[in-house]
Order: sequence, then C-alpha cells, then structure tokens
Amino acid sequence: MKLPKFMNAVIMTAAITMGGSAVQAQQAGGSMVFLVQPEPPTMAGYVSTSGPIGLLGPKIYDGLFDYDNDGKMIPVLAESYDTSADGKTVTFNLRKGVTWHDGKPFTSADVQFTIMEVLKKVHPRGPNSFKEVSSIDTPDAHTAVFNLDNPAPYMMRALSSYESPMVPKHHLEGQDIKSAKLANNPVGTGPFKFTEWKKGQYIRLDKNDNYWKEGRPYIDRIVGRFVPDASTRAAAMEKGEVLYAAYNAIANIDAVRLEKRDDISVTTDGYSMINPMALLEFNTKEGPFTDAAVRRAISTAIDRQFMIDTIFFGYGNPATSALSSNFAATGLHAEMPHYPANGDVAAANKILDDAGYKKDSDGVRLKGTLDLIPYGEDWRRAGEYLKQAMGDIGIDLELRYEDVPTWLKRIYHNYDFQMNLNYFYQLSDPVLGVHRHYGTNMIRKGTHFVNSSRYSNADLDALLGAGMTEPDAEKRSAIYLDIQNILAEDMPVVNLFELEFLTVYNTKLKGAYGSAMGAYASFGDAYLD
Amino acid sequence: MNRSSKILRYVGKRLLQGIPIILAIVVMNFFLLNLAEGDAVDVLAGEAGSATPEYMAEMRKKFGLDQPLPVQLAVYLKNVVSLDLGYSFRHDMPVTKLIVDRFWPTLLLMVSTIILAVSFGILLGLYAAVNLNTWKDAMISVFALITYATPLFWVGLMMIIMFSIKNDWFPTSGMENIAAFYEGFDRVKDIAHHLVLPTITLSLFYLALYTRMMRASMLEQYGQDYVVTARAKGLTERRITFVHVLRNALLPVVTMAGVQVGALIGGSVIVESVFAWPGLGMLAFESLFARDLNLLLGIFLLSSALVVAVNLIVDVIYCFLDPRIEVT
Repeated sequence: MKLPKFMNAVIMTAAITMGGSAVQAQQAGGSMVFLVQPEPPTMAGYVSTSGPIGLLGPKIYDGLFDYDNDGKMIPVLAESYDTSADGKTVTFNLRKGVTWHDGKPFTSADVQFTIMEVLKKVHPRGPNSFKEVSSIDTPDAHTAVFNLDNPAPYMMRALSSYESPMVPKHHLEGQDIKSAKLANNPVGTGPFKFTEWKKGQYIRLDKNDNYWKEGRPYIDRIVGRFVPDASTRAAAMEKGEVLYAAYNAIANIDAVRLEKRDDISVTTDGYSMINPMALLEFNTKEGPFTDAAVRRAISTAIDRQFMIDTIFFGYGNPATSALSSNFAATGLHAEMPHYPANGDVAAANKILDDAGYKKDSDGVRLKGTLDLIPYGEDWRRAGEYLKQAMGDIGIDLELRYEDVPTWLKRIYHNYDFQMNLNYFYQLSDPVLGVHRHYGTNMIRKGTHFVNSSRYSNADLDALLGAGMTEPDAEKRSAIYLDIQNILAEDMPVVNLFELEFLTVYNTKLKGAYGSAMGAYASFGDAYLD
Repeated sequence: MNRSSKILRYVGKRLLQGIPIILAIVVMNFFLLNLAEGDAVDVLAGEAGSATPEYMAEMRKKFGLDQPLPVQLAVYLKNVVSLDLGYSFRHDMPVTKLIVDRFWPTLLLMVSTIILAVSFGILLGLYAAVNLNTWKDAMISVFALITYATPLFWVGLMMIIMFSIKNDWFPTSGMENIAAFYEGFDRVKDIAHHLVLPTITLSLFYLALYTRMMRASMLEQYGQDYVVTARAKGLTERRITFVHVLRNALLPVVTMAGVQVGALIGGSVIVESVFAWPGLGMLAFESLFARDLNLLLGIFLLSSALVVAVNLIVDVIYCFLDPRIEVT
C-alpha cells in the first residue's frame, strides 16, 4: 500500500528537481569534505548540543525556522507563524509534502512530539527554551498551535535545526529517547541523509533526493572528517583535502598563515547566534575573591585588547558589560564601568587600596588559584597573561590545568575553585545563554555551565524573571540595563572578551555562509565551483 | 615424551597461567581508572552545554554508574567471563564492535612497521658491523641516534610538509580518500598509498633500535670462539658473516621484535594522531579523556591478552631457533 505512494513521491520530486536544475546557475554535484573536531559521541542533536554534533545534525534534521545574518527568520519546516495578541498562543503553519528520509510524511504530530516529549524533556537547553509551552494542539496535519503559560519572545530565537531539530515521532515513540537507535542512525527531513559512520575516520552523508526545497541540495555528498592533530588539520586544508573548517578546527595561528593563500579564506561570520564570551568565574562563597571590590579591581586591571591581539591574533572584541555587544541590535546591551579595553592598573590598585587590601613585603595582597578551561593551548597562554596581570595589582595566582572531566567536576560539582577561566555561549538571547550564569535558581550542584559562582541576589532574580516574559522591546531594554548595572557592580563573573571563532574555507566552496547559524546550518544551498 | 607433545603441554600450561594474569590486570585497571575524577556522564553532560541534575542522575543509573564500585566490578567481570566486553555508552555501541573496527587499521600499521623496521634494521646493523669503525659505520650510527632521539610528532609533520604539501606525492592523513570512496583493488591501492607516511614515521624510531641492536649483537658474535675456529678452518669472511655470525646475531633482534608486537598493539598514539590513522591507540586515548571506562577496559584486556599470547609464541619460537633451549 505504502510503496506506490512513496514511488510517486520519488518520481514527482525527481521531476521537480530536474526541472529546477535546468535554470540554476549553481553547479550540482561533487563531494564536500570538511573537518569535524573532535569526533562526536553520537548524532543525537535532540539530546546533546555538543559542538561536533551541531556540525552534522543540521544537515540531516531541519528546524522550524532558520535565521539569516540580520536575524530575520527564514521559513524551513514552518512556512509562517502567528502570535496571538496576548502572546500566549503561537500558531505554526507547516510546510506540506515534506517526507522523512525513510519516506514517511512529516506532520504536526512530529512537531508536537518533538517539542513536548523530546526537547522539553531530554534536550539540555530545551527545558528553558520551551519552558512556557504547556501543550501543543494539532488541529490538522499541517498546523501546530503552541499554548504558552506566559509570552516567551525568546522562544522564537530557538527554532533552528541546531537548537531545536524536528525528529521523527515514529522512530522514538514508546522508547527511551536517550538510548533509541536513532542516535546513531539518524532519520531527518534535511537536505542530506546519513549513510555511514566509520569510527575514527569520517561520517558520510549523501544527498536527499526527496528534499522539499526544489533543486537542493547541490552537493552530492558531505563527509565530516576527524583529524585529531591541529597541524595535520591545517595541512589537509592547505592541500585541499578538506574544504571547510569551523569553530577553530584550524587554530588561529594557522588560519592567519593560510589566509594568505589565494584559494583559502577566513571569516568570522556565522557565530552571532552562538555569541561566545570568554570570562572569569569567581567563587563568591569562599576563598580570596568573595569581595566584589576585588573582582571589580581584577576586571579593571585586565588588558583585554592585549589578550585578543597577542593570544587570539586579533580575533575578538573586548567585553564591555555582562552582555555581549551583539545584543545591541535588540537593545539589550549597554557599556558598563570597570570594563576598560586596555586595562587600568593604577585604578585597579586604588580600588584594592581603598578596600583595605595591603601589600605585604613581597608586594602581594592576595593569593589564589586560577583554573583554566582545558580546551587547548590558547587558554593556557591566556592564563599565563592573567597571572602576570594580576601580579601587577598584588594578586599572586597559581595556575591549574586539568583534563575535562576533572575540571568539570571541580568547578560545577565540588565548587572547589577560586577563580576559573572559561567561556560561555550567550546564544541568541540573554534568556537562553546568560540567565543560567546568574540566577539563584541556576545554582545547581552537578550541572555544568550554570551559576558556579553561587551568586544570589533577589533583586537580580526578579529582574531576570521580568526580562524573560516582557514582550515590549523598550521595557525589556530597560530591564536589561538594570541587570547589567547590578552585574557590573557585583561582578560574580568578569567578562573578558567576545570570542570570534574562525571558519577557514576553500574558496571552491560557495553558498555555505548565508545562515546566521554558520557551520551549524544545513548546507543545502552550498555548492562547489 | 616426545618434543611436540612437550611443547603442547607447555602451551596449555602457559595459557592456563595467562587467565589469572589477565583477570588480575582487568581488576587492577578497573580500580586505577576509577581513581580519576569525573565520569562518562560528566563529560557527556559537559559537552552538551548544560544538563539538569535529574538528567545526569538518570544517565548514571542507565550506565550503572550509580552502583558501588565492587558491584560494578562484579558485573564487569561476569560479562568478561562470558566474553562480553560490555557497552560503550558514549559511542552507543558494543565495545567489541568498536575495538574490532579499529583493530584492522592498527594491525595493518603495526605489521608494515615491524616488517620495515626489522628488515632495514637488520640490514643497516649488519652493514655497520661489517664496516666497523669506518665512515659507513659512523654514518649509520649517527643516523640511528638522530632518528631515535627525534620526537615522532615532529618527524610526522615534516613528512607531511615534505612529501604531501611541497611535493604532492602522498595524502596528508587518513586511511582512505574519502571524497572518492574507492571499491575493490582501487581501494587497496588507495589504503596502501595512505599507509606510506605513517609507516615510515613509526618505523624510523624502531629502525634505530634494531640497527643498534643488530650491530651490537653482530660484534658480540664476532668475538666468540666459534668464529676463531671458523677462521682457523680457512672459511672466507663472507661465509663466516652470513652463515655463522648472522644467524646467531638474529636471535636477540627477533626476540625484541616479538615483544614489541605486543607493545605496538596499543599503537602509537602520536603517529595515529598526526596522520589521523583510525587505530586503537587513538581510541584508547580518547576514551580516557571521555572516561569511557568500558571501552578502555576492553582495549586493555585485548592488549594484555595479546602480550600474553605473543610472549608465549616467542618462547615457543625460541626452541625452534635454538634447539639448546628447552621448554619445561
């Protein structure tokens, strides 16, 4: 019964595809090999937001919307949406004629299941993104009505295929979602189908001939290659064996060298939805940094521009507030005091003098330990700079560099640290990426990348709550101004600089840069010249 | 009792002795690995960005990590005895399948390295010994010293720069051309092409070892009484070297090569990393940082079993090479 219908769909789509290819200027065909570093544990983007999964998942799964570089929503599986006047009902009109890679149709039941049973329950960030969604109605196969307890404007920024991939109900229903077979055998609606995973070597995706978008994708095959050694990755890029490397898979030091070649370009586009921020977390409950004045002095003393220029080869922007300047577009960013770009050692020393921290005979006021995020050499260099900069204001730091599990346990479970160098994704809205760092409800022992400072401030909590549900842009902007002021005074976290990740690519590859999701996009429009 | 049944009995005895050794290794590894802070759930949750404590507790329960250590060990041993190496929760795959997939590339690299290193090592050592204290000997000794002392990762990277980027002779890394996906004989050729640089890099280190060993071993044999006897008999130097001295000098080199087969199973993490060769060494390295203990224990189990087996084989080969050595 099912087969003839499926065959029909194949023939129809094939006809459309062929019709489409007659008019397109882009070349179809070819293999696109790119770097995936490190090898992902699984391909279950609906369970884990781990970086390498993000590089592959969105090629296989679609989201409801994508976002262009100006933040405008691009229809993907949803063609449009309507928000009711009170902001508590959002109706998504779904695309018709979309099929999963196994041939079954994509319907509103999949959307309902994905949000309510998968993302809200097992996704690391889904419970926040869809916190207000109490139920989803499916009046017909192509309409999904989200019923919200409170307006949730930030939810509309979390609908990309990376953040919220739509998954097939018929492969997950009635199973333990975290251990379902789908994790290693993904079935999506995206432009590429999963074909093969050779552990330690590559993941191969082949063109989805039934893709809903006419004439897409152009490329026949996408292969994600795993190369553990950074210098070899640079060599493979130089030789043209791989065409694309995002998220600093090619280290900055190699990127600036490769950029001089005619066939290789470097871009910092494609990370605005990620908004990475380098920062220092402080233990505000015990140890030498419990006094906000000390933390303000530390923030004042750091030469942020120097760190960017010498360690990160000029890629980055000094932080000027608890929020990234990328939020300025939505009015959620303001420059704050104690954030000098070039560091002001005299002012920092004065803050400490005024606060009563005397230097001893060796010129030391305080001793402490700085933990370093174990994600590579750059962070060790940054730690070495910080040790020296803190020495200038009489804070004697010892550096500690451990492996990932040990470090995570120390910072987020045992709270056995004083000062920690780290970076956080601020994501597309402060509610999604920043609230977790400061809210009292985000002091969660054992949960990673939340409020490890154990900073708790009732006024701030109230403002964070208000910022979450306020639909009016101007009022929201005022709320976040207050939030930034409080954080610039208390500084449980000192932001260092807005990281700029680099994407290094071969100029043969075109059309892979149209989405704000960057490397976490579908590559349906990419083609090889 | 005749010789072959004696050997069979010996092999049986050694195999029986091997079982408690391997089990002891497993138990020791188990406790050693559990000394490390953090577990697989910490890593998985850390990579995922943020995860709720409930989610992490649930995962620990699913992985069996909420059980006390002795219980975990008992479960693991029970599985091992029934030849089930368990499940890698990180990879969502049975450990046996993961290991077998990575075993062939390791074997390929290992065997070609051993062959290259041993044969060239023997040749160079022999040549150096024959030309003792001439410039040829000095050159070979210096070469061996340099290759032995140079860090492998640097040699690997220089190989890539010289033979892959400056001269487009070999691919930089990987085991296959994954833009092409060759089939049949083309695939064999492709894999061989990819094998060249990693094999040479890894061989250089062992080559130096065998060269020096062979040279020393030759010189030692030259000083033996039987050589004096041979000379007195009026044999040519050529015959003495190739027929008498060489055969005896080979013994220690072959022994050493046998022992190193076991060590090479773990692979060279550095060479695998530099050339993105999908071997067991890299898998072990990665699973250590991911605290994927089931997988790590599986790899250790395999390599300990292989070391036991190879040692046994070497012992048996001994008594064929040198009839004076007897098994008991």
